[in-house]
Amino acid sequence: MGKDLIQKSLKDSLFTGIIALALFGPIVGLRTVAKNEVLVVEPKWFIVLLIVAFCAIGRFFINIYSYKKEQRRGEPSSLGKAISNFLDEKGAQIAIAAIAFSIIFPFMPFADRYWMDIAIMMMTYIMLGWGLNIVIGLAGLLDLGYVAFYAVGAYSYALFAIHFGWSFWICLPIAGLFAGMFGILLGFPVLRLRGDYLAIVTLAFGEMIRILLLNWYELTKGPDGLTGIPRPSFFGLPFKRYPDEGVETFHTFFGLEYDPMQRIIFLYYLILVLALITNAFTIKIRRLPVGRAWEALREDEIACKSLGVNPRNTKLTAFAIGAMFGGFAGSFFATRQAFISPESFTFIESAIIVAIVVLGGMGSQTGVVLSTIFLIGLIEVFRDFESYRMVAFGGAMVLIMIFRPRGILAKRKPTITMGKHG
Amino acid sequence: MSETLLDVQNLTMKFGGLIAIDDLSFSAKKDHITSIIGPNGAGKTTVFNCLTGFYKATAGSMYLSKNNNKMDLKKFSDFKVAQKAGVARTFQNIRLFPQMSVLENMMVAQHNKLMTASGFSILGLINSKSYLQKEKEAMEISKYWLDIIGLTNRADDNAGDLPYGDQRKLEIVRAMCIEPHLLCLDEPAAGLNAKESAELNKLLKFIKNDKKTGILLIEHDMSVVMGISDHVVVLNYGKKIFEGTAKQTKNSPEVIEAYLGTED
Ligand SMILES: Nc1ncnc2c1ncn2[C@@H]1O[C@H](COP(=O)(O)OP(=O)(O)OP(=O)(O)O)[C@@H](O)[C@H]1O
Ligand SMILES: [Mg+2]
Repeated sequence: MGKDLIQKSLKDSLFTGIIALALFGPIVGLRTVAKNEVLVVEPKWFIVLLIVAFCAIGRFFINIYSYKKEQRRGEPSSLGKAISNFLDEKGAQIAIAAIAFSIIFPFMPFADRYWMDIAIMMMTYIMLGWGLNIVIGLAGLLDLGYVAFYAVGAYSYALFAIHFGWSFWICLPIAGLFAGMFGILLGFPVLRLRGDYLAIVTLAFGEMIRILLLNWYELTKGPDGLTGIPRPSFFGLPFKRYPDEGVETFHTFFGLEYDPMQRIIFLYYLILVLALITNAFTIKIRRLPVGRAWEALREDEIACKSLGVNPRNTKLTAFAIGAMFGGFAGSFFATRQAFISPESFTFIESAIIVAIVVLGGMGSQTGVVLSTIFLIGLIEVFRDFESYRMVAFGGAMVLIMIFRPRGILAKRKPTITMGKHG
Repeated sequence: MSETLLDVQNLTMKFGGLIAIDDLSFSAKKDHITSIIGPNGAGKTTVFNCLTGFYKATAGSMYLSKNNNKMDLKKFSDFKVAQKAGVARTFQNIRLFPQMSVLENMMVAQHNKLMTASGFSILGLINSKSYLQKEKEAMEISKYWLDIIGLTNRADDNAGDLPYGDQRKLEIVRAMCIEPHLLCLDEPAAGLNAKESAELNKLLKFIKNDKKTGILLIEHDMSVVMGISDHVVVLNYGKKIFEGTAKQTKNSPEVIEAYLGTED
């Protein structure tokens, strides 16, 4: 019996190796390099061999592993279970600890410019993940074009801030409103679609917005992008070393030395607050009738209709609110970068956010945080390996899907409870 | 002589060339349990789907009398039949929200009134007293029904984890949470054992007598049909072949031939 299994697994891994060779051979193995101003193909067979061996051996062990798992079916898979149990029991404490850590983070000795930038980026993804979690995790609408709302938020923020000179706190809600309106705009045509069809149409919508931004030159400056987006100020106090005559700045007001980190730290707290607002809002609205209706719709739309729940309005609110938070995050992105162009809003961004939500465990707020740290962290760690980043990214997703097919944190908490004795 | 609750006239439903319901007329009274029986594929579920707006009937009329007010059910589409006309239904293949708790299932059924109470979420977001009060009332209604079917101690468990019989009962009381005038049940006794089936009879009688809700019942289990029906409509190939009391139905030669089969 064991021999049979090994034989089968060997066959299987041989097959996997052949597929890997066919796939990676041309992609990785053949590199074009410029030599004496001509392009020549330089084979890199060693790397291909490594990848193929990795795939084949990996496949072999997966087979053995899943066989063993089948043998002890019924027993919970240990590590993942342990993690999610731990998070279930200590959830509140962990959340408080995590928030406390994020508050003191900028003052940690190691938190230099590099770490702060990563932290800000992660926090932005966490916020986007939480926003998209409403649409995908709660309402069950697989939206692959979420980056469109991020873009709408960024562009409306930039345009209002540049042309009218309004401050961040005025432009922010306007940008959210615009993004929310686009959410409804997308929502209407896709009301009747589910699953794959919905995914395809939302994906196309994301591309449409990007192409619109590329081509509407009068408004968006097309591929040149928008420059000179006002930097954020601390309630009217700018972060500038040499302010204009008679203008008080952050460092003069507080009697500090000028330090460019002050602005970074401010940005960090800004995105932290925005993300926490998103989180608090989602947690609260999930317990309201509309939130329960989202989840019910995800579970069974026909049953919802039979109970008089209006599926159209319910879906549209999910799209609109999810999009609104995407828009807020977009505003932040615009003010942080001071420059935006359609290049920042490609499909890969949507894909990463969807991956964050799905890998985190549909609907789980903590899951979003964990998978962001994991995925974005991974991309960052592999930054030096350039094109292998995405391979690592994909590999990580495959691993999570093998060990935790329903996401890192799949357990759902009821929105309302009767308690033990009613 | 009690008043008519549902009046169906010349209902016809065609799927391409297939005539699933053929010129069907019947009525259901307010304090009655009206059963629709017939062999597989006779068109019973299709009647429900027309009544509850999931299908648009090809021809015919359906009127529901509500507080001396005749409502044309054809005017409402799916969710509005439940919301505006107060017609609730269950499904042949149970349709609960399996990953949500039992209590949550009951709360979703009270969605419309809670949505209004939550000021379309605004009052809810600021924890307004009036909303919290309404939420508490909704929980009490849920508890009331869960007590009746004996599921209160499982209120916080996932609906999908309940045993089959309990899921059936839960689907029925969940439908009752919308405070319907007419409750349409599609084979509620399917898959129940004798004890559960007896409990179901009791529950349906309670809904009819104490809640004054008219019931339209599709059922294959003759012990249920004969035990509680006040009126029986028999369908075969989309046509009504017989209509009468349970006793008359049991003894009708046409019905025996088409459906019940010759008993020993
Ligand atoms: N959406 C549809 N499209 C095409 N044909 C349909 C559709 N719904 C039902 N039918 C057909 O209509 C006929 C009646 O089906 P229906 O489901 O109403 O039967 P039923 O009496 O409920 O049977 P059962 O006892 O098996 O539940 C069947 O021949 C069925 O195939
Ligand atoms: Mg049927």
